Amino acid sequence: MTDEKGDSTSPLATASSDSKPTAQRIPPETPEAISTRFLVIATFWAVIIFLGFPIWWKTTSIYRAHLPIQEMVDWADGKTCRPVFPLEIQVAAPGMQSPESQHLLRTTQHALDDLNEFAAHHLRLKLTNETSTAQQTEDSMEVASNGEEAPDTALTVRVIAQDGLVVPKAELHADTTQLDVFYPPSQVPVPSSSNPPLSVFIAEELQRLYGEEKATVAHILSGEKSGLDSVNPQFAESISRRLRRSMKYADTYHLSFSLFTPGPEPSSWDIEAAVQEYLSPLLHAFAPISNFTVDTQVQLYATFSPMAPPPVYDEVEAAWTLKKEDLSAFVNAAEWPLNPSIGNGPTLNFILYVPAPSQAPMMVKENRASSWIVPQWGGVFLLNPPLSPAGKGSNPAHLSRDYLRPAFMTFSHQLLTLLGTPTTPASLPLRLQTLIRIRAASLLLSASSTMGSLARLTESLPSIPIPATVASSVSITLSHLSSTCSHLRSGRFSAALATARVAETEAERSFFEKSMVGQVYFPDEHKVAVYLPLLGPIGVPLFVGLIKELKRVVAGWKARRRAAA
Amino acid sequence: MTTFSLFSFLLTLAVALWGSNVLALSDYHEQLFLQPLPQSSLLASFNFRGNTSQQSFDNQHFRYFPRALGQILQHAHTKELHLRFSTGRWDAESWGSRPWNGSKEGGTGVELWAWINAADDEEAFARWITLTQSLSGLFCASLNFVDSTRTTRPVVSFEPTGDHSKTDGLHLLHGILPGEVVCTENLTPFLKLLPCKGKAGISSLFDGHKLFDAAWQSMSVDMRPVCPPGGECLVQIEQTVDMVLDIERSKRPRANPIPRPVPNEQLVCDTSKQYNSEDTCYPLEKMTETGWSLTEVFGRSLQGVCPLAETDSEQSVCLRVPHERSVFTSEGASEIKQDDGYTRCFKLDPEQPFDLAVHEQQMNTKVPLEEPILHAERTIVGHGQERGGMRIIFGNPSETTAVDFIYFESLPWFLRPYIHTLQATITGRNGVRQEIPASDLVTETFFRPAIDRERGSQLELALSVPAASTVTLTYDFEKAILRYTEYPPDANRGFNVAPAVIRILNSPDSSPVYIRSTSLLLPLPTPDFSMPYNVIILTSTVIALGFGTVFNLLVRRIVSVDEAAALGAHTLKGRILSKLVMLRDILRPKATKVE
Repeated sequence: MTDEKGDSTSPLATASSDSKPTAQRIPPETPEAISTRFLVIATFWAVIIFLGFPIWWKTTSIYRAHLPIQEMVDWADGKTCRPVFPLEIQVAAPGMQSPESQHLLRTTQHALDDLNEFAAHHLRLKLTNETSTAQQTEDSMEVASNGEEAPDTALTVRVIAQDGLVVPKAELHADTTQLDVFYPPSQVPVPSSSNPPLSVFIAEELQRLYGEEKATVAHILSGEKSGLDSVNPQFAESISRRLRRSMKYADTYHLSFSLFTPGPEPSSWDIEAAVQEYLSPLLHAFAPISNFTVDTQVQLYATFSPMAPPPVYDEVEAAWTLKKEDLSAFVNAAEWPLNPSIGNGPTLNFILYVPAPSQAPMMVKENRASSWIVPQWGGVFLLNPPLSPAGKGSNPAHLSRDYLRPAFMTFSHQLLTLLGTPTTPASLPLRLQTLIRIRAASLLLSASSTMGSLARLTESLPSIPIPATVASSVSITLSHLSSTCSHLRSGRFSAALATARVAETEAERSFFEKSMVGQVYFPDEHKVAVYLPLLGPIGVPLFVGLIKELKRVVAGWKARRRAAA
Repeated sequence: MTTFSLFSFLLTLAVALWGSNVLALSDYHEQLFLQPLPQSSLLASFNFRGNTSQQSFDNQHFRYFPRALGQILQHAHTKELHLRFSTGRWDAESWGSRPWNGSKEGGTGVELWAWINAADDEEAFARWITLTQSLSGLFCASLNFVDSTRTTRPVVSFEPTGDHSKTDGLHLLHGILPGEVVCTENLTPFLKLLPCKGKAGISSLFDGHKLFDAAWQSMSVDMRPVCPPGGECLVQIEQTVDMVLDIERSKRPRANPIPRPVPNEQLVCDTSKQYNSEDTCYPLEKMTETGWSLTEVFGRSLQGVCPLAETDSEQSVCLRVPHERSVFTSEGASEIKQDDGYTRCFKLDPEQPFDLAVHEQQMNTKVPLEEPILHAERTIVGHGQERGGMRIIFGNPSETTAVDFIYFESLPWFLRPYIHTLQATITGRNGVRQEIPASDLVTETFFRPAIDRERGSQLELALSVPAASTVTLTYDFEKAILRYTEYPPDANRGFNVAPAVIRILNSPDSSPVYIRSTSLLLPLPTPDFSMPYNVIILTSTVIALGFGTVFNLLVRRIVSVDEAAALGAHTLKGRILSKLVMLRDILRPKATKVE
């Protein structure tokens, strides 16, 4: 083989050495050949640039729907909407003449405005007809539920003259949104007085009623730092603790009531009657804010986790005690079947624990309490039923409705806390109204901040696709956010909550869109590595050809310029 | 039949208990049934049954019905549910017919079928997917892999066992995972569903190490609505665990589980053999029944009774051995012998742990075992990677009656059966094989062909096997070639084909009788998995080669040899080349001289 090659090359070599002096120069290329070569290379590159790259671009590009980034960022920064809470309070003064009541209203409003230091949350008084105020409130409630233009009435104040009083007296109805103010007839404000005592009294009373709400709203709007300067730190701390413990807002909450006991008894309870009697009214009152499903279970032989410190017998109390710091390990999450309910919405677990007769009664060591809240999860109640005399002092086999009463009272209270209801005022309807406003505010803020996060995400990751559904969700969110804002401004809080709910759901949906995550982890380097055997051998001659041709063109151009010069 | 058969007894017992408590709105029962089987095996059959009223079920007030399962069923609109976890094989030739007549067992792996309330097929399938996903989480099983390719809708193989209202649009869906390995992680959630949770009562015997060490075991969960005539409707949950333990194996201490040969002095040799000597022994079969106790076999004792079960009327542990055999129990338990001569039940002391011991004993009578109505076995025949065949053998042991049954098979889509090749051979007791047209035996055929990657094929045959004969059915199939990504990580192991389900129609006491074949392993042509990259690289190279040639031809200037030499001499390359050639020319004569 080598020989043959050597034979064939050697004459060539000799020929070349021979021909060296004869053929010093080769004939120059014809201009046609040069232009043909130029055309060939240009065609190849044209195909690559005008066909190859567009196809590659088209097939590998990702769809990114247009998002109103600036608008979303503005919402997140709070530039678009400053939530305000104008509360309408109707004042009825059946015992007063019209000018007197007008004057009372004016002076009270003045006193209120003086007292108020948080501009976003203010009370607006409005005089109603002296006709039956009950009728009036009902009407306004209906209007509110219909979502009409009239603002919701937060409170009705009835100013009633009463003999035998020295100073005015206020009385809040526990089950309606009505505040009765009784005043001695002598204190009817005269139109000339600028600051009548009755007005000051009413203003202070109202300020006190809405103090907690105001502080809470200020806390939510201002983020972590306390919103109001005048609020004392302890109060602010309690508000922020309550907000931390409460659940995230949801359309539907699943309430799960479980009876746990380490032994075989009690194995049944009057749960249907107890839920019906102690819980249903509360859940019904919550209907405008959230829906609830209730499920219950009985779990026997539920032992403590082996890791949890066991209860200790306390001689002084004559009871088994649990240390406060050990309560977090009380629920044996590994063994107790407390899986969340199926369906949308979070589950709140309420555990009724009946200790074994050998460990009864059981209580918390530090404060002798029998119940506690597990933040954002549920509540626990230790029930120590009287041991039945039959046998060797065992637990009763059945828990009647009356035994369950204290437990369910506690559960109701825990439920209110977990849902974020404020502790004051005493009237439940007022507290629920406050809850509506708090929820609307927090939903508005959380949906806005989700929008901001989504905007930042799409900006920072240019490789993720944005499907059209995300764009439509974003536009729904933004429109609902602005209608929430306008509802708030005009004092229609139920409507504001409804739109804020939609905004929040859509915002979450757009942020957690599944198809946006998939492509992020698909690296282009792998594709390049696989196709390198194709791209390399094709790319090198193409580039070399291009560079040579460019050199030639540049040289020719220079030569021509020199020739011209 | 003079001897009262064991499994009819199980059923009768269950039915009797059910009947006596039919009026109670919610109640709970549990029972353990033990029977020694030939070859020193022990069948332990656990049964737990709880009821709740339909109303409290709908209102989600759970007491004996587990909340987690109840919510899943409500969410998926499931009216009746059957879930099975099985491992091992029931040796019908030695052990006789199956416990519960096979109605509480499933094919190897996990099997699930449910009646779902839905308006149309699509909605039913969506709810079925919800159900499988949720159950997969609850039972820690891969039920979420029951997709459309593994779901079938049997027509005649299953009948609802509950009382359903006529207005419900019920859809039956069936799914099976033959490759699923059933293990302790499935037992733990199973125990959590029980009211006494393995802490008291017969469930306290469960130990994952023993349960899954059994030669055969089957766990089942059945949920169905029951409407007693004139009473309120109930929702019933029934859980069973059946297992066949090897007594010798189970008795090994956990600390020292390695089996050892029998010591020489304990060997019983057949001295009649001519080669019998000091060091040669033909061991004789043991003539005595093996002794065992609950603690030895299960590794723990029974912790009293579950107080929820109505213990006054119930004996929760039953043992089926001849009455002549002496049985020792722990204190506080009372024995009640049934008059069939074989069964005795025990009433336990609620406070004390219970143990039961049977000693090694020479027996004169044996508990009669019921002969199975039908023997069935299924194998894959043929060779090569492209085609294969299926052979199913049905044996009818009865001398007098023919057996009518439904044969149900769900095949994966990559196994493409040719139903036209279905052939039948019949062999009588005289051993003469005779080919007959399949239509002589098959009275009805329900066949739903597969769609690639969407659904598997479903075959239901209504068959009849004449008395005292064996029928062999065969058909051919073709193996599909899968896509590269469709192969599992252990592709060379083969692909599981789900067990066939046989439902016997003319059973003696008209209760459902089911038999399941073993699952099959189908080898498919498996590629070398680096192939796609090799192909890409090879074709890329070929294309690049072609391209380079064409491109060079087009771009390079073609000159004559003379010209090329002249051209070459000017460049650096040409100069080096000519130097090299000169060097070689100088060296060459020397090399030839050396030679």
